[in-house]
Amino acid sequence: MRCQRVFTAALALGLVMLPAVTARARGEDAPRGPVGPAFGGRALQALVDGIQFGVIIAITAVGLSLVFGTIHLINFAHGEFVTVGATFAFFLNASPAGPGWHLIPAAVAAVALGALLGAAVDRGVWRPLRARGTGLINLFIVTIGLSLLLRHIVLVLYGTRPGSYAQYDIQSAIGLGPVGITPRDLTVTVLAVLVLLGVAVLLQRTRTGTAVRAVSANRDLAEASGIDVRRVVLFVWMLGGGLAALGGVFFGLVETVTWDMGFKLLLMMFAGIILGGLGSAYGAMAGSLVIGVVAQMSTLWFPVDLQYAWALLVLIVVLLVRPQGILGRAERVG
Amino acid sequence: MRANKRERNTPVLAAEGIVAGYLPGVDVLRGCSIEVGPGELVGVIGPNGAGKSTLAKAVFGLLRVRAGTVRLNGEDVTGRPAHELVRRGVGYVPQLQNVFASLTVEENLRMGVYLRPRDYARRAAAVEELFPVLAARRRQKAGSMSGGERQMLAMARALMTEPQLLLLDEPSAGLSPLHQDHVFDRVREINGAGVAVLMVEQNARRCLQICHRGYVLDQGRNAYTGRGTDLLHDEKVIACYLGTLARAR
Ligand SMILES: Nc1ncnc2c1ncn2[C@@H]1O[C@H](COP(=O)(O)OP(=O)(O)OP(=O)(O)O)[C@@H](O)[C@H]1O
Ligand SMILES: [Mg+2]
Repeated sequence: MRCQRVFTAALALGLVMLPAVTARARGEDAPRGPVGPAFGGRALQALVDGIQFGVIIAITAVGLSLVFGTIHLINFAHGEFVTVGATFAFFLNASPAGPGWHLIPAAVAAVALGALLGAAVDRGVWRPLRARGTGLINLFIVTIGLSLLLRHIVLVLYGTRPGSYAQYDIQSAIGLGPVGITPRDLTVTVLAVLVLLGVAVLLQRTRTGTAVRAVSANRDLAEASGIDVRRVVLFVWMLGGGLAALGGVFFGLVETVTWDMGFKLLLMMFAGIILGGLGSAYGAMAGSLVIGVVAQMSTLWFPVDLQYAWALLVLIVVLLVRPQGILGRAERVG
Repeated sequence: MRANKRERNTPVLAAEGIVAGYLPGVDVLRGCSIEVGPGELVGVIGPNGAGKSTLAKAVFGLLRVRAGTVRLNGEDVTGRPAHELVRRGVGYVPQLQNVFASLTVEENLRMGVYLRPRDYARRAAAVEELFPVLAARRRQKAGSMSGGERQMLAMARALMTEPQLLLLDEPSAGLSPLHQDHVFDRVREINGAGVAVLMVEQNARRCLQICHRGYVLDQGRNAYTGRGTDLLHDEKVIACYLGTLARAR
């Protein structure tokens, strides 16, 4: 059993290494290969890009993880919270039909809409169906339907054209040694890290945050301690929706706004959450960061189109070694 | 004067004809009644699966009551959610998973007094006096504590709100005889301070020894009711529920 596990891990690792080795063998034919004077610089650049991608995934994934932690629902529509946030900000900010707000107030409004959407799903879908005794698997399927519905509403309203926000569109990179980063991307990364720190402080130091962790740990006991569990769950939905919308704006800023951006990001969120350890908010952050870095670093050797696939491969490899995820704990027996 | 007298006679908890269960159409409790007077220590014993834990959950609002009424100080609270009962002065310690394992001891106590965060310091000092072992372990994760320490923490958490009624579901389960004595001593101490206690126990003899009154529950119904020491010497109760070894004492 153990042998098999090590073997599979080795096989997967081999798969990862193989193209690198062949690229090295090709030598000068492959100027973008891992050898050559500029490789260190490019690797550093990919690392920086990866961290940026990772913290954005993390912002969107934390809500998904908290919802799963408190009510054990896998919310397949979480990616659409991201899309709705990004496209709503686009409408307010850059659409010819919109009011043409500056991006900052538009982003704030998008976060508010995301929180509202989270609350609507709680009140309109989760709570009534749960009260009727709908099972978690059935509810998971319901969220798949909700995801389709929301995605296509966005498609009708927004269209298929990729969009960019009106401000901070084109910027030249500032050089930091071998690494170049635009002030926009740097700001987004720093803001994203600050938001993640804020979420950690909220969960760790505030009464409401502790209540969220208490509900995740033991719902009945939380109720027995006088915590209004339904209100805590509503709070988690709103927090998750708001964070997803913010992540959507960030992702739209550094990449582009599209009607299916959240759906594409959803896979990365799942990977990050599972990698970090299901149900732990900090695990979701750590896992997302790893996924982002792996996805970007893989472009050093492989086509950009495959970067998501590499992220998922790393997920499989890590789970083979640590089935409970990076920060997850093995279930205590007894 | 009269109002005062009525207050004295109104039971803190009066559950009447409780019918409740988990699966649709299957009643675990089939018309169960129970009463706890002010300052009383009441024990509930019965065989495994009799519905003792179910009764505690139904009374506390964690399980929907299908028929019957639950009154708190004469006021009907049937079907009210648990967090509301906490606000009305009821504390509950479940049989299993009675602490927040991933939270620290301090956070567990803070959650105990969630509705009145300002009282934390005062109440924490009070329960730490009752359970000194907790004071030294504030930063320890509850999940890493021993079974006995957890039981202490679970009781401390429930006492944080200064309840007037405490529901304890098998507080001595899984503890060594010495720790069991310790727990029962604490329960008596808590009760001595004026808190009404309803204690479900597997350790029937010990429970009936310290209880003012006891109920024997069987298959979701009351089988016997009486003074703790009377039940302890009742031939039928001994034969059916305490085991014949009990007679030796
Ligand atoms: N969550 C549940 N879902 C379905 N049935 C349950 C559930 N919990 C308890 N039961 C059933 O209800 C009955 C009474 O259980 P309960 O836990 O109240 O017994 P108990 O008297 O506390 O027993 P013990 O002394 O073993 O703790 C049992 O037959 C049990 O199988
Ligand atoms: Mg029980």
